[in-house]
Amino acid sequence: MPSEKEFITLLNQHQKIVHKVCNLYMDRHSDREDLFQEVTLQAWKAYGNFRGDAKFSTWLYRVALNTAITFFRKEKRQPDIYSTDNVPEQSEEEQGPVEEQVKAMYAAIGELSKIDKAIVMLYLEDYSYNEIGDMMGITANNVAVKMNRIKTKLKESTQQQMAN
Amino acid sequence: MDLDELKHQLRNKLATDHAGMSDADIAALLTKKTDSVIGRIKRNLRIEIICSIAVILGFGAVGIFSGYSSLRIYFSVFAVVCIFFLILLIYLLRRTTRLSSTALPVRGNLQTIVHIIEEFTKRYFQFTMALVPICFVFSLWLGLSEKQQDAGGNGFDFRHYIVRWQAVSLLVAYMAALGVGVYFFTKWYLKKQFGRYVGLLKECIKELGE
Repeated sequence: MPSEKEFITLLNQHQKIVHKVCNLYMDRHSDREDLFQEVTLQAWKAYGNFRGDAKFSTWLYRVALNTAITFFRKEKRQPDIYSTDNVPEQSEEEQGPVEEQVKAMYAAIGELSKIDKAIVMLYLEDYSYNEIGDMMGITANNVAVKMNRIKTKLKESTQQQMAN
Repeated sequence: MDLDELKHQLRNKLATDHAGMSDADIAALLTKKTDSVIGRIKRNLRIEIICSIAVILGFGAVGIFSGYSSLRIYFSVFAVVCIFFLILLIYLLRRTTRLSSTALPVRGNLQTIVHIIEEFTKRYFQFTMALVPICFVFSLWLGLSEKQQDAGGNGFDFRHYIVRWQAVSLLVAYMAALGVGVYFFTKWYLKKQFGRYVGLLKECIKELGE
């Protein structure tokens, strides 16, 4: 029987992972909260089978991404795309070119498919192509091909956003 | 500037755009109900298992204790069909529970969910359609047979009932219409429940394979 206290402590230490996934997959604040709750519940249900072969963070990524990819809102009032509204507002003096580029890139990532978002998420966390492949259930070569396509898509999309 | 150059800033932005949760907040989340499709399927399966057990017990009792042979046969057949359905429901619930307690790779997870939903909808459809002949043809035949026996005859004689062919035609047309109605309603209901979701999951699986 897994210890609830132990799980809560571990999840609290790694909650940034869940927040990252929720921020990446959900546009609205209420949807993020729902997804956070769902990931927490799914992680708790699966925790009994966590044997510690992998790091807790890697395992939590897998659970969180599985939950986020299969999580669809029944009543969808708006498309699941990432708007630049998610990024905290800053004054024009504060908003340097780097900040603007981050904002544009952030919005561009939001327009990717659920699968591409998961790959980008893991790439941003410095997982190797082999590790990403293991988590996604595809080969490292496939990850590399997809990552190249994603980079091209993001570059084009970011340039377009910056031009507007 | 590309993704590699922005990696650090993006990582920070994604990680900091939230309010932290305390142990108490997380503990409170663990008491809430899941809203996932798998959670909903599990809830549906549990409800159907309870209903099936109730039907088996109720119909089984009628099948054993009824004084009419037609009722005994009719309800016993229903109870036996429900036992097969119950076995399937328990199997699906076990598979669904196993799935929610393991962290599979994304692709494997998607494939398993699609397989479970397709299996569930297929069997649900088969079960519903299997009930149509039992409900109509079987009950009609048993009812007529019982009537014949009550009248002191020696079993069912179909010729006896084709006196008013208009009435029989109407009955057949009614059964056919209801059968077709059940067929399309069940198809529509299952598609409404899971069709869009399965389609989206299949798209993800296809994308992973490209």
